[in-house]
Amino acid sequence: MAATQATRAPVLLPPAVTPQDAARSSDRSRVHHARLGGRRWSLLWLLVGPGILAMLGENDGPSMIAYASDGAQYGIGFFVPFIPVLFAMAFVCQEMCMRVGAVTHRGYGELVLQRFGPVWGWFAAGDLTLTNLVTLVAEFVSIRVGLAYFHMGPVVAVALGLVLVVFTFSGGRYWRWERIVLGMALFNGLFLAAAILVKPHVGAIAGSLDFSPFPGGSFNTLLLLLASTIGATVTPWMIFFQQGASADKGMTPRDINHGRYDTAVGALLAAIFGVGALIAGAALLTHGGAGIQGFTGAAFPDALRRVAGGAAGAVFALGLIEAGAVAILTISASTAYAAAECVGVAHSFNSSPRQAGLFYAANFGIALVAALVILIPGAPLLAIALNANVLATVLLPVSLVFMVMLANDSGLMGRFANRRSTNAIGISVIAFVGVCGAAYGIDSFLLATHVIG
Amino acid sequence: MRAPGDLTVRVPEAAGELPTPPREHPEEPAAENELFMHLEPDQFVVETSRPVMRARLNRRAIAALWALRVFAVAVSAMVIYTFVSQLH
Repeated sequence: MAATQATRAPVLLPPAVTPQDAARSSDRSRVHHARLGGRRWSLLWLLVGPGILAMLGENDGPSMIAYASDGAQYGIGFFVPFIPVLFAMAFVCQEMCMRVGAVTHRGYGELVLQRFGPVWGWFAAGDLTLTNLVTLVAEFVSIRVGLAYFHMGPVVAVALGLVLVVFTFSGGRYWRWERIVLGMALFNGLFLAAAILVKPHVGAIAGSLDFSPFPGGSFNTLLLLLASTIGATVTPWMIFFQQGASADKGMTPRDINHGRYDTAVGALLAAIFGVGALIAGAALLTHGGAGIQGFTGAAFPDALRRVAGGAAGAVFALGLIEAGAVAILTISASTAYAAAECVGVAHSFNSSPRQAGLFYAANFGIALVAALVILIPGAPLLAIALNANVLATVLLPVSLVFMVMLANDSGLMGRFANRRSTNAIGISVIAFVGVCGAAYGIDSFLLATHVIG
Repeated sequence: MRAPGDLTVRVPEAAGELPTPPREHPEEPAAENELFMHLEPDQFVVETSRPVMRARLNRRAIAALWALRVFAVAVSAMVIYTFVSQLH
């Protein structure tokens, strides 16, 4: 009988083990021992990553320029409370991504493709590739603008971005990739330093918490501000990235609470640093600041230097370099996850480039294409940077709808499926983002075609 | 050691695809076996490579998804048109 039982122990039989499993299991063993040993902070340190990276990665070059432009044109009123509200919305969306990734151990792209069919999967991947390519161009523009402050040219910007992408690949480990990018992402705090350097009026910041004064200007400008600010906070790549990274990290349902802390800390830091960029930009408001268009590009750090000193300008320029560099890494990674998941091949930083050729090729390839665009003489780089967030906002509702459907799928999620309250908030977020994006798109189109004046 | 309630999988060295280095002390449990105990059964690559079942969507849901898709493409086209027209 005992012998029969021994032969009937299928749960102990191993599945085929790959090097990817070995690497992930090594990371999980540390989590396991930290949990068993009751080492809370060690456990938190081991489990944070995807949430903070998604949130701080979204505080990218065009986003920080958008926040600073808001401040320069309208001051801090309305936007100081509005930015944290947007990041609260982002938390709701990203928590779902983390939870689905931890429960299913699969990325967003492959789940949409397998659960809803290849048409929807490839549509999602197509949307992502389009928005990511445009956004990556804007990230290289951001690095270029930051480096221009220090009298360095576009070739240095391209080389810096691409070398970073290749450098983070080395080692063939998710953990290593995550920690390098996490270390870089913390320098997003440079925008907070820039805000302190412009010596803002603390009373004015506290007084702006009542969402007033509401920004004036034309209806279309207001819609542009809303659409670009939303696009600076929640985007399709974040969905692909956090779910894919949570699965790649090896998170499990037991880690969901820590995943929530990770996402919440990321949202909090991103909101603080985003408000920092807004306050730094607002220093230009009382010094004859021009419109949004005038402040994008190389003019921003220079303008800040003139009104708040060289240190503020330099810190802001360094912040733009950091924001662009981190976003290049995270956005390229989200493209790689999407491409390899949809094709159905290896999609993990725990695999070597030889084992996951498409994953690494897509990761580097999209960064390379974006880098080449900024070297084209006369390319409309600043216009691309401005429109990157808006395009992301317009395409975001589709990704969010599938995200909510996956998070509600009891067949996949079991007892970890969405609650009614989460659904209510999620659907409200989708409706808000959809209305703002569509309103700007339609109004701008009607203006451009002279249907309305 | 396995914790009570631990659902992880023990992996005998012979079954893995990884090369197994020669052991100096065969009486000790293999380190690589201990390592794979920390993955959940559905976390192995071979498990995650199996596709999940297709969801059954009713006609209304499919129609709503297509409507949203067409709307998103139409608005994206408007944004791109506006972007291009502003360049000239």
